[in-house]
Amino acid sequence: MSDLILVESGKMGRVAYARIAPNEDMILGIEKLCLAQGFKHAFVRGALGSLVDAGLEGSDGKIIEVKGPAVEIVSLAGEVRSEENGTPCASLSGVVADPEGKVYGGLFLLGYNPICVTLEVTLEEWLPDVDPVSRTVRQRQ
Amino acid sequence: MTPDGVVKRKQPRFLRQPGPFNPIRIKMESSPFGRHIRLSLKPGETLFDAIVKPLAELNVRAASMTILGGAFETLDYCVAPPDPEGDAVVAYSKPITAGQSYMIFGNATLGISIEEKPLVHCHAVIRTESGDVMGGHIVTEQAVVGNNPISVLVISLEGFELHQAYDEETKISLLQPMEVDSHE
Repeated sequence: MSDLILVESGKMGRVAYARIAPNEDMILGIEKLCLAQGFKHAFVRGALGSLVDAGLEGSDGKIIEVKGPAVEIVSLAGEVRSEENGTPCASLSGVVADPEGKVYGGLFLLGYNPICVTLEVTLEEWLPDVDPVSRTVRQRQ
Repeated sequence: MTPDGVVKRKQPRFLRQPGPFNPIRIKMESSPFGRHIRLSLKPGETLFDAIVKPLAELNVRAASMTILGGAFETLDYCVAPPDPEGDAVVAYSKPITAGQSYMIFGNATLGISIEEKPLVHCHAVIRTESGDVMGGHIVTEQAVVGNNPISVLVISLEGFELHQAYDEETKISLLQPMEVDSHE
């Protein structure tokens, strides 16, 4: 834990919006959007859409499976951080509503959240002053 | 294991869409920056008008928004069960009246409808008049802001717009990012 960065200064960069198509995994889709746009790090600035079913991490390690279709995404927060090898890794949590409107919340699990009709997502690039991977100081503009 | 002996792994359920598969799975646009705007939704106005009017004055035609908590005088929402007609995999239900409600959190997108008019797509978590916490698609033209302004963080989308267009694969009209023709 000695490498834990508690404060990271930086600024916002580019903005990307995407419509991701049915049956794509929500997490992988957002990671691929970062790859396509060349974003190393990004924050989710808005998202709405629907999932076939949803899979969230429960507090006891079990999976909360929310049966659709459609499971509506009513809140999504999270970020994407790139690993040393360049792989973007999204950590997303939020609230979903089942076909009766009942809500569930938690961390979205990779592979358990296929898009039903559409996912609209807006990402804002995060440009840290010090690159968390290479730890090189980026020149302030 | 399937009846023909193939070992089945745990995998998500996929749905067969009614239309032809579109090989473009991520349709995207980007801009070098976004304008950040703090909006206060005007009491007594519909959610639709309270978003569209001030943003039109700022010449914002496409935006992504976070609606922070606030009370609504009245609010209707829809859920999306399987389409009873079978035309699409799901269809919005008839509006469900939540009454005097509190929006706990919402996300909204401003785009342009097929009729070339402003369109606000909003999903939110609400506490209904009866005290239930529910979620779904908010009918923005019928949601009336309560006595106090509600804060919204807007990020404008510059250099491209979001147009509602018929999607052949899902057979549903959806918002799609489209580059703005600068020669128009």
